[in-house]
Amino acid sequence: MDYLVMQIINGIVIGSVYALIALGLNLIWSITDVPDFSQGAIYVIAAYVGFFAVTWAKLPFLASIFVAMCVGAAIAFTCEKMLFRRWRGTTHHIQLLCAIALFFLMSNLAVVFWTGKAKFMPSYLSGKIPLLGFYVTYERLVVIAMAGILFGLVYFFITKTKMGKSIQAASQDKETAEMMGINIDTVNSVVFALGGALSSTAAVLTAPLYSVYPTMGDLPLLKSLVVVILGGFGSVGGVLVCGLGLGIVESLGGFYISSAYQHGYSFFVLILVLLFRPKGLFGRM
Amino acid sequence: MKNSLREVAKAKFGIKKLMGLVILLIVLLLIPRVASNYIVYVMILAMLYAMLTVSYDLLLGYTGQLSFCHGAFYGIGAYTSALLTLKAGLPFWVALPISGMFTFVVGAGVGYPALRLRGAYFAVTTFFFGHLVYLVILNSYKLTGGPLGLRDIPPPEGFLGIDFSSMNSSYYLILVFGILMVVFLYRLVRSGIGRIFIAIREDQDFAEAIGINTAAFKVLSFSISAGLAGLVGSLFAHFFRLLHPSTFAWMTSEMVVIMTLFGGAGTLFGPILGAGIVTFVLEVMRFAPEFRYVIWAIALIVVLVFEPKGLIGIIERIGRLWRKK
Repeated sequence: MDYLVMQIINGIVIGSVYALIALGLNLIWSITDVPDFSQGAIYVIAAYVGFFAVTWAKLPFLASIFVAMCVGAAIAFTCEKMLFRRWRGTTHHIQLLCAIALFFLMSNLAVVFWTGKAKFMPSYLSGKIPLLGFYVTYERLVVIAMAGILFGLVYFFITKTKMGKSIQAASQDKETAEMMGINIDTVNSVVFALGGALSSTAAVLTAPLYSVYPTMGDLPLLKSLVVVILGGFGSVGGVLVCGLGLGIVESLGGFYISSAYQHGYSFFVLILVLLFRPKGLFGRM
Repeated sequence: MKNSLREVAKAKFGIKKLMGLVILLIVLLLIPRVASNYIVYVMILAMLYAMLTVSYDLLLGYTGQLSFCHGAFYGIGAYTSALLTLKAGLPFWVALPISGMFTFVVGAGVGYPALRLRGAYFAVTTFFFGHLVYLVILNSYKLTGGPLGLRDIPPPEGFLGIDFSSMNSSYYLILVFGILMVVFLYRLVRSGIGRIFIAIREDQDFAEAIGINTAAFKVLSFSISAGLAGLVGSLFAHFFRLLHPSTFAWMTSEMVVIMTLFGGAGTLFGPILGAGIVTFVLEVMRFAPEFRYVIWAIALIVVLVFEPKGLIGIIERIGRLWRKK
């Protein structure tokens, strides 16, 4: 019983990471129709930036999250401005290829600069609280809390501000939105920067729990792509529910069935959902 | 009608193209005579990749379905063939067609549910299937040796006095298979079935409206391309004689997609060229292993910015400039 609760909490922690990356991916995907693989590499770069901000620049943890967030947003913003913008409206294969190339580029740059050896981020907050007979470390709670806060902020941004409403409009119908006077260029820039910032935050939040290494972005990227599809486009709540759900399924499956296939369970969930609901669980479009 | 037929015939048997092909063939045949063993080895690697990529071009370039699990079919073919010869004692010449057919069936089994989805949904689902195959290979210790891989896979049995365990004879064997595969695909994409594939690529809804069973033909294209990948996997297994799961991880599938689009999808020749160039560039860069993928990714982005159609687009441009002069 204790283990069940523990696994569920672990699942929520890793699930909120998936959900954070997926939120940015979802926005980018719904505006540009491109699954932006390069977010997986921005995740890696941001984790290293956070790592060096803490160990080398001796910044406090929250400040290093902010630094990494800015770097991630800047990278995504630049990539969109210099590359993805060129091919808007042409076949998606080119944009996807470019995203994959950027993913290769950045994750291999990480190998070149910082070697393939895993780095361990020092713990920034010690202590744990008892919960139903076992302990949860504060660091894990911080991940969940930060994810919650960011989801709230993004939800507010999307539904309440003018820019957010433009994003919603553009994701539903680009031409009409443009005719209504929405600047698609700005929308694209904002969405990419937001995606980069969210992935970077997720990266720095998990860095102290696991370790920092150049291929750390592969699996979270894959899982968050699944979360996007499961959740369906244009639903912030759907992304949150599916992200957490996938995390819990994985960690329970890994514990009770077989840990060797831990990263394969999401495939079965995906196939099951798509067979019955091809538009995702919460999709509106 | 007559005119258009003549045009087709001209396009097919343009004298310049034919000469080019003959010269290419002679060069390919002569390489083991003049080049060192290392070059022959790299050529074999390039040919295997080219075959894998060209079989993928049928799916992406002609049917317009982006998938990320070609490396998985390659792996299934390789492991099936290796296990058939190692555990069941079958000769290579029996194991090769069986592994191709088995991969074809697996492709149909996966394609049937997955191809109900479209575009990026399909792509991500196949991505996961690829990862699942990798996990199964990695974790079935008893059957596949898990992370240790399989060793001592026998080389193809020789006949008529040819011994296929030497480098040069494997080169010719793989070259023959490669030519057969390209001719098969060339005939296929120009047949009625190929036209249906192209119709699906251009507009799936329209194809359905004019009475094409798009679901069946998409699955057909997917499984043919999977089956061919299985054959290439079998050749790979019996040439290298050892297998490791990491060869079939998602990196391979991504490389296949990149090589296809880099060369120019939907042209058959483009992907072959793309695969050849990528293999050689990565091989030449071996002196700086960390920088290989960095420089390669930058080159890819530069090509994309310059010419979105890939290498074929650049060649066409040069050809147009040539004619203007």
